[in-house]
Parts: sequence; C-alpha cells; structure tokens
Amino acid sequence: MRNAFAAALERSVQADERVCLVLADLGWGVFDEVERLAPGRVINAGIAEQAMVGVAAGLAQAGKKAVAYSIAPFLASRAHDQIRVDVAAGGADVTLVGVGGGVAYGYLGLTHHAIDDLAAMRALPNMTVLAPCDPRDAEAATEAALALDGPVYLRLGKNGEPALLAADSPFAIGRATTVRDGADITIASTGPILAEALGAAEVLARQGVDAAVLHFGTVKPLDTGAVLRALARTGTILTLEEHSVIGGFGGAVAEVAAEAGTGRVLRAGFPDSFIHEVGSREHLLAHYGLDAAGVAARAAAGLDIAPSPRRLTLQRGIA
Amino acid sequence: MTTAQRAYDIRELSLELALRAGTCHIGSALGIADILAVAYFGVMDPDDTFILSKAHAGSALMATLALRGTVDREQLLREYCQDGGAFGGHAERGVPGVEISGGSLGHGLAIAVGRSLADRLDDRTRRTFCLMGDGETDEGAVSEAAALAGRLGLDRLIAIVDANGHQGLETEQAPDRWVRFEARFAAAGWEVAQIDGHDHAALAGALSAAAAGRPRLVVAHTIKGRGVSFMEGRFDSHYKSVRPHDRERIMDALQAGRIAA
Repeated sequence: MRNAFAAALERSVQADERVCLVLADLGWGVFDEVERLAPGRVINAGIAEQAMVGVAAGLAQAGKKAVAYSIAPFLASRAHDQIRVDVAAGGADVTLVGVGGGVAYGYLGLTHHAIDDLAAMRALPNMTVLAPCDPRDAEAATEAALALDGPVYLRLGKNGEPALLAADSPFAIGRATTVRDGADITIASTGPILAEALGAAEVLARQGVDAAVLHFGTVKPLDTGAVLRALARTGTILTLEEHSVIGGFGGAVAEVAAEAGTGRVLRAGFPDSFIHEVGSREHLLAHYGLDAAGVAARAAAGLDIAPSPRRLTLQRGIA
Repeated sequence: MTTAQRAYDIRELSLELALRAGTCHIGSALGIADILAVAYFGVMDPDDTFILSKAHAGSALMATLALRGTVDREQLLREYCQDGGAFGGHAERGVPGVEISGGSLGHGLAIAVGRSLADRLDDRTRRTFCLMGDGETDEGAVSEAAALAGRLGLDRLIAIVDANGHQGLETEQAPDRWVRFEARFAAAGWEVAQIDGHDHAALAGALSAAAAGRPRLVVAHTIKGRGVSFMEGRFDSHYKSVRPHDRERIMDALQAGRIAA
C-alpha cells in the first residue's frame, strides 16, 4: 500500500506544484521518484515527528498542500498535540499518512503497533479519517485526501496487501462500499483486514449463513446511511478493525446504532490491552481471533443469541 | 574473559539471532557490541542501570543479557522474533534486564534522568547509563531531557551516543556535525567526551570517568555493522534482513575480523 501511496503522490506533485512531502527520516527508497519529480519539495525533518507535523502545518498556512508521513504511532501518538492544535484546530490542508496501521509491523512490537490511532484521530474536530483496504484503494484514497482542502489522517497498511476490491470500485470520502451482499449478518470492516472479513463470509457461507461484507474506507465522517441500512437488512453488524475495540471504527458504528435505537452491533478488534504477544501480523490476527476463522466464529456465536427472524434457520445451518 | 572476547560473543550471538529470525537492524546491533561489552563486563556494578534507548539494536542487548545469564540463552535462541515467543524485535520492559520498552526513539534519556534523580533522592550511589543512537537525538524529547539533566546536575548519569553517522534516510550532514553536537550538550551543562567506540580502553576510561555536578555524555564514534567486513559502514545493514543462506559467509567474515584484530 505504501508503494501505491507513493505512486499517487508522484502524480500529485506533477499535477500540483503546491504539494510538498515532509518526512521524519522514514521511507527509504519509497519516495525517490517523488523527489526526482519535485526537487526541493521533499523535506526530511529528521527523527523529529513533532517538528515534521509543525512544519507541514506551516507549509499549509503559507498555501502549500503538505503531506506528512511516518509509521502510524509516531505520527498519531508522538505528534498528537501538533496534529490537534496546528493541523486540526487550524483546519490546515495537511494530509497525515500513517504507514503500518494496526499490527503490520508484527515482530517490532507495541511501539510500532497502531491500535489506538483511529480513536485518537477520530476524536479530533475537522479531521477526516481514511483507512483504505488494498493498494488500488490506497491510491484512490490518497488522491481524495489531496483533493480535499483540510486535515486528513490516512491510515495505510505496509506492503504486499492483496487486491480486494474490483478495479472499478470508486473511492468517495464518507461512502462505504458493499463488497458482498448478504441477508443474515453484516460484517463491516475498515482497512486491509477486509481480507479476513471476506474470508469469514466464505466460512459462514459453508455453514449456511449469508453474510454481507461492507468496506468503510472512511472512518470519519462515517457513512451512517450504510450503517442504518445494514442494520435494517440484517439486524446485526459485526465490526472488524485492526484496532482496539475502544473508540475506533466499531465504536463509531455502535454510536450510530445506539442513537438510532435499532439493531445490534458486535465489535471485533484488539482487546483493551497492549499487545505483548510476539509475532507476525498473521500470527497476531489469529491469536486475537481476528483472522477469517476467528471472525466467522464470532459472527456465528453472535447470531446464535441474536433476536433475528432467521434465527432458527441459522441455528440449523450452523449445527 | 576480556571485554574483547565478550564483544565477539555478543556479535556472534546477535548474528545467530538475526539469522534464525530473518530480522533486520543487524548493522546497529554489531555497531554497539563493544559499548555493551565494556559497559556490562568492564565498567558497570551489578546494581547500575543500563537503558537501551536505540532499541532496534535490541538483539545485541539480548545477546549481552544472555551472556551475563540474565536471560536464558537457549530460550532466547528458540524464541527471539518467533510467533508466540518471549522476545520481540525491540527489547521490551518485562524481559529480565530490559529497563524500557524501546522502539519509539528518543524516550530513553528522559527515563534515565528520572531513574538517576530517584537514586539521588534515595541517597543511592548507583549509576544510570543510557545508550542512544545519533539519529534519535533529533527528537525534541532528547534535548528536553538533556537540558533538565544539566540543570539538575545529575553526575551519576552517563549518556552514550552511538555515533555511526547513519540514520533512516541518507541525508547529507554538516561536516562539523560532531562539533555542533558536542556544543549542544555542553551548552546544556554536560561534560562531553568523544572517543572511538570500538576502542575498549577508551570506552572503559570514558564510561568510568566522573565530573562532579555534571552529567556525562560519551560520543562513541562507531562503524555500523562493525565486525563483519561486508556490512561495515553499510547504510543498508539497517534495513536488510539477514538470510540463512548467508550464514557461512557472515560467520566466516566475523571470524576473519577477529583474527585481523
């Protein structure tokens, strides 16, 4: 996904002379072409994330379109005050790009895991929060972020993510995408973990459960219409995110459902604890029940007690 | 056993860990092996505190702790960067002998200031050592902590900077970089020494010295990847994973390096 982001940025710096990239000493080999295309417009602030974000805000105040890039927690946590005051409160035209969202950095441990960034960014007024699911989606999200005049947090995976959406699937800020239709339960996910949602839907299909899958490429502003339609159609939404269950995407969906007083929301994500388990992303997802098998089991268990009109049929199907 | 032999053992075990796990950052680990060997096996008293702030070189710290018997060598070899294992790529607090959860740069010095201050409040004479990368001193938190340590006059605090001259992106540095660097800490009230970070006698002297009423900074000039000729001074030894098929070539180079020394 980071190469897809770089590809979109290569086009942007050519199309718009205002676009600048500010780095915090990361991105080795990723932005060579951007630098060649836009000499002087790629600035390395050093290992100094707070300065990176402040510089991006200053560039934006002076009429530039600034992009700041780092590993997600070093941006969303380390530089949070600069993001809050200089970027969000000021409505600065800064796109903050966090690479390695969730547990993409696996073995590198809790300092490199971003499982609270969606909550932190979502709580900031003026902030648009995007979490594309595959390389092409990331490219489109980058373009949308740069087209928007205002603060954006763009959460990326790392590299090697498979294509999940159809090539002509459009990206629009604030709009969810139906990836798979279904009538029994809706699995709503954000980011590359959509792959596990789709895998879970396959597992459920073999058990006779017809699961819909929605991809929310935008966490904020949330597509509340899509949430309400899904609740009306399937009664239950199981949210899936590579993030803590507190305050992120699942929290946002639950807020909508609670205020509407309709339907039921189950949240799949990391529990409220730091991840001390050592392992690759795949290992960590499986360990916390966030792989396809774990998500399918969670959906099935949830349906078993859900007040759904199809409950009896489903119970037979699962058995 | 000499600290030189210890440094060799740290390098060998760090490489073994990297080979088994296929992990990166080996250049950083090799570069600090002499500093760790002299600190742990030559200078430090048993109750002194050592904080590794540049935790991406964590394999070298884990190797040191294994050689010292603080962590189990066989368990380390089995579980370093393995799914479900006890040891991740960054040394994490909770592992015996590891004082801070590293991996986010620029945290170590401020924690070291807190530890050293607590010792002073409790009338303890132990020392606190903190090893940072030169790159991570970019972080504002390092300057903030340095200013505070100078103001408090923490003379049992010894910061070491692994000055290998490399960091994430190959940005050109000012030719008088280390002069400016020294001036920056000196202005904050630190006693500063610049030494060859692979010279054990120089390291032992610099890490043992004390200046009344002032924290001490040892700028240890090192070569990233030190000990394996084809990794030495190589910027890409930061990112490239060590691959099992390179085992023989790497270990041969390590041995050849020892003979040459």
